[in-house]
Amino acid sequence: MNDHTPDAAELIFTRVFDAPRELVFRCMVEPEHLARFWGPAGVSAPLDKITVDARPGGVFEAVMVNDADGSEYRMRVIYDEVAEPERLAWTDQDSGMTTISTFTDLGGGRTEVRIRQRKVPAPFRSPEAQAGFATSLDRFAEYLGTLSGHEGGTI
Amino acid sequence: MSALDVTFTALADPTRRAIVARLALGDATVNELAEPFDMSLPAVSKHLKVLERSGLISRTRHAQYRPCHLERGALDAAADWIEENRRIWTERFDQLDRHLREIQRAPGPREEDRGR
Repeated sequence: MNDHTPDAAELIFTRVFDAPRELVFRCMVEPEHLARFWGPAGVSAPLDKITVDARPGGVFEAVMVNDADGSEYRMRVIYDEVAEPERLAWTDQDSGMTTISTFTDLGGGRTEVRIRQRKVPAPFRSPEAQAGFATSLDRFAEYLGTLSGHEGGTI
Repeated sequence: MSALDVTFTALADPTRRAIVARLALGDATVNELAEPFDMSLPAVSKHLKVLERSGLISRTRHAQYRPCHLERGALDAAADWIEENRRIWTERFDQLDRHLREIQRAPGPREEDRGR
């Protein structure tokens, strides 16, 4: 599989970190690290409620707690692939959405992480929908943003 | 299927996305919409039916030419969903960036600390 070809119906997020690839990979699979960053802003992912069984078929589960009102949301995914330190793939058990993370050593202690999310959301599992989606969803989001009068976000 | 799923399915087709883009500029009749495409009127009508069922467009029942109208609410919901997903990853990566800086600054036997 070519990781650099934008697939139909997928969202792509890329970020470069000033850290060696092995360390960045470990951050994505070790609860002690995940607890420090997994919840987005205003949301905590308590360490005692993170379960990681990093092998194909293993579970990655986390409870996200909203800091403002204490409401909880449970995320549960099953690993499809664990290839330390370059690739990680899992599928969300609720939405069926697949997330593939690739870790590229850029040299000089820098690492690029590329997140690709596929089958977004359920209808994209149909071959008809997959075939019809010529541009990446990510770019279409910006496009939709301009149509709706919102600004398209960038990373 | 959720309303959002229906919207995404409707937008999965490039012709339908082009129709939506055209309608963002203003209401149009089926004939006007068919013009830029190498498609028969029935083919365009089929796409319009999908868009209408998804709630992305509406058509006046009584006017003779039944102009199509873009319903921006449904489009906004789809754009919001994608933006929300992007926001989560952006914030998550911001925090990971901070976390990586912290643990690489602190001396630790497990972490590589070259050149810092």
